[in-house]
Amino acid sequence: MTLRPCSHEKEVAELLARGHYPQVCTPELRAHIGSCRSCADLVLVTRAFQAARAQTAAAVNLPSPGLLWWRAQLRRRNAAVERIGKPILGAQIFALSVCIVFAIGFLATQATHGLRWLSWLEGTSFGGFGWPLQMPQVPMLHLDALLNSGLGMLVLIPILATLVLLGGVAIYFASERKNEPR
Amino acid sequence: MPTPWESVLPNLLAGDAPHVAELPMDNDAFAGFYSRSARPLWAYLARVSGDPALADDLMQESYVRYLCASQPASLALEGEVAARRYLFRIATNLLRDHWRRPHSTSIEELPEEFFAASASSAQADSQAVLGPALAQMRPLDRQLLWLAHAEGYSHREIAAITGLASASIRLLLFRARRKIARLLQNQVQLPLSVRLNESARPESARPLNQRSQP
Repeated sequence: MTLRPCSHEKEVAELLARGHYPQVCTPELRAHIGSCRSCADLVLVTRAFQAARAQTAAAVNLPSPGLLWWRAQLRRRNAAVERIGKPILGAQIFALSVCIVFAIGFLATQATHGLRWLSWLEGTSFGGFGWPLQMPQVPMLHLDALLNSGLGMLVLIPILATLVLLGGVAIYFASERKNEPR
Repeated sequence: MPTPWESVLPNLLAGDAPHVAELPMDNDAFAGFYSRSARPLWAYLARVSGDPALADDLMQESYVRYLCASQPASLALEGEVAARRYLFRIATNLLRDHWRRPHSTSIEELPEEFFAASASSAQADSQAVLGPALAQMRPLDRQLLWLAHAEGYSHREIAAITGLASASIRLLLFRARRKIARLLQNQVQLPLSVRLNESARPESARPLNQRSQP
């Protein structure tokens, strides 16, 4: 197949684009179109497509532009909220993970070195109230002792429950954000 | 003075953040642009995809994306012609995405006969001639032919819309035009009696998509 454009092709295309064919068409050009395959194809195809375009465009029932406008505004606003909310969610997750790390570190320290602050509290009185704090006599609370004694369980269970609760809340909020309708 | 970030989110949620949610056109300008461009765009999508329902969806999505997109500065300078071209580009990309996506079609989802209910004799004739010919073309060829011959875009504009190289548009278009011209000529040369017999064929003998709706 040779790709050799006809010298009249541009002229024919302009006539077709303006809708002047075949009214404003010289007999010479008409004779040329009859003999030139490239120009004949151009006329045939362009007229078929132009007719199809006019008929198809006339047949459509268009939705209201206001509806599309409203949808675009809604989508743009949702995208902006998501864009702004992303760093906030990141900060929340970061804060939660720092809290968890500190809590685990605190627990690990207390389990290793015992609850020394309990013996410190034992000797102090609360400023204005003036009564000495009575603490149970637990000289060194190691992990085994802590787990074996009722006091240890009383401390550990609320801490673990709080962590689980906070983690659950964080996961709930994160998944709720993802499931928001677009 | 910059807006403090604490106030941005409540403003957004309350819908009072024009600097974030503002669209590139006001409502009236968009309505005018829509009334001038929607019909040609729908015709392009419907004829290239061959599915009016899909054309409805893609046309709406094209306008929403057009309004949501951060548009290039050249668009404001070149005016509505460039805006229309940009819209066709979005629609072309959506069509391409649709064809790339794997999907299965059930018998209920098959498109109804194109314009069957509202077709006048001229429409039916145009559809009868161009429809089968277009159906035998590749999707890319249909796009190129429609943009060049129905919309009258130049090779350069078609390249901008389809994302193809301008040099290859000429060759692709030449081949596609020659092929569809041959198909159209074959259909036009089909004897009238054959077409009349076709229309007089009993309902049960016709293909499923050519039967009249109950």
